[in-house]
Amino acid sequence: MNRNIRTIVAAATFILMIAALFMVFDYAPTEADQGIVQRIFYFHVPCAWVAFASFGIAALSGILYLWLGDRIWDDLEYAAAETGMVFCTLVLVTGSLWAKPIWGTWWTWDSRLTTTFILWLMYGGYMMMRASADDTAQTARFGAVIAIVAAADVPVVIASVRLWRTIHPAVIVTKEGGHGLEDPRMVAALLVSLAAFTALYGWLLMLRFAQLRARTRLGALAREIALAYAAAGDD
Amino acid sequence: MEHLGFLFAAYAIIFSVIFVYVVFLWRRQAALDAEVSALEARLHALKDAASKSEASPRPK
Amino acid sequence: MSPFAAVLRKDLRLELRGGNSTLSLVALSLMVMAVMVFTQAEAKSHDAESAAAAIWIAMVFSGVIGATRVLTAERENGCIRGLLLCPIDPAGLYAAKLCAAFIFMAIAEAAAMLMMVLFFNLDFGVPLLRTAPILMLGALGFAAAATLLAAISSRTRAGDMILPILAVPIYVPALIAGVRATAAALGGAPMGAIAQWLKIMVAFDILLVTAGCLLFEYAARED
Repeated sequence: MNRNIRTIVAAATFILMIAALFMVFDYAPTEADQGIVQRIFYFHVPCAWVAFASFGIAALSGILYLWLGDRIWDDLEYAAAETGMVFCTLVLVTGSLWAKPIWGTWWTWDSRLTTTFILWLMYGGYMMMRASADDTAQTARFGAVIAIVAAADVPVVIASVRLWRTIHPAVIVTKEGGHGLEDPRMVAALLVSLAAFTALYGWLLMLRFAQLRARTRLGALAREIALAYAAAGDD
Repeated sequence: MEHLGFLFAAYAIIFSVIFVYVVFLWRRQAALDAEVSALEARLHALKDAASKSEASPRPK
Repeated sequence: MSPFAAVLRKDLRLELRGGNSTLSLVALSLMVMAVMVFTQAEAKSHDAESAAAAIWIAMVFSGVIGATRVLTAERENGCIRGLLLCPIDPAGLYAAKLCAAFIFMAIAEAAAMLMMVLFFNLDFGVPLLRTAPILMLGALGFAAAATLLAAISSRTRAGDMILPILAVPIYVPALIAGVRATAAALGGAPMGAIAQWLKIMVAFDILLVTAGCLLFEYAARED
């Protein structure tokens, strides 16, 4: 079942990506003020959407793991955290490459980028913890706890950063009202990109998840073999 | 076409990062699959050996 | 006596009998504030912003460094297993450890406030008094996060190093709100003006304490 679904998602990703590239570079008009650099937006925003959604998936999987105890949920959580981190990094990098030509600085502490940066730090903490601990049920529990607490914290982070930025607005006023896209062609391009990146994320998530499942099965198999050896040795 | 360099860099980085990640996943997967097959073969061999020794009981 | 009270009493008694945790926290706060002063180009007298930044940085860093020590007294000899075997509700155990950590931090915060007044030449008055509840809310939130996360960090290979990496991003909303509120209060703003920051801090505290009560058993359980 998994292989077939993965192939379908991979095919969908490929098609949607080609469509998105066309929409972004040919169909959507050039923005008046920012020029062609504004087209970074069409990939920057979907990456952000994916990064945040992935965080939510990781947290939900964490809850399911603590509740049900089946390692399959831990594998999904880890896969979501890792994949999410990749896309979160892309958000920050593309945001930087967009900020530099438009506003002259590599970074701006506007509320969305700041929140994404904090999310990235949370992802990083999670990955570091998992990397520095052995692959046991205890580590899986730890991961779940961190994922849940961090995800629950995100709304408070968003609220505090937004308040921070309105009281002390960034020197550079940003693309806050960024989705005030005037031209419907731009909206269409954004939506296609969104679909393409969601499919891409889904594909990568499935790949990583399958891999982690295989590793868990490997562990179980190894234990079975050890038991079988022990039993055979009793004769 | 001002700032074309930045636009190119952004998209190039996106595709590079994704490509590298896919390659990383691919290689990990191949190695894992090989290990799983090897272990499964081992397990079957063990089970066969165990059932053979049951079928022909040794004198006590 | 309820298990909660028993554990809390144990931790407080340990501290009173020479635990040194509170003293370490105070000393660390002093060090951090001194570093802040020495790294500034010019002595910032009466500067609400610098003072607020200094005391919050001191809280966060002395908290992460001191938290592991304060919260994992039971790590040696597997005492935590013994504690968990007792018929104590894990949430109650968490609450007790949280209270102990909060008390130590609150005392350290009071000392830090004094240092802040001295280092930054502030006045003893109502503005200073207004910062007290802000700092207490911050200490509570930090203690809540640290108590939960230290249970995890103390049992990974990276150990204590991972606690700041985990705790600081999670603590950011309380930190932002706390510093802004403290700076405003020290600058003479009335409580009404900083209410919105306080709301965020209260929300954060409620969130973290609830999460801690629910999740502590998973973080502390050993197998």
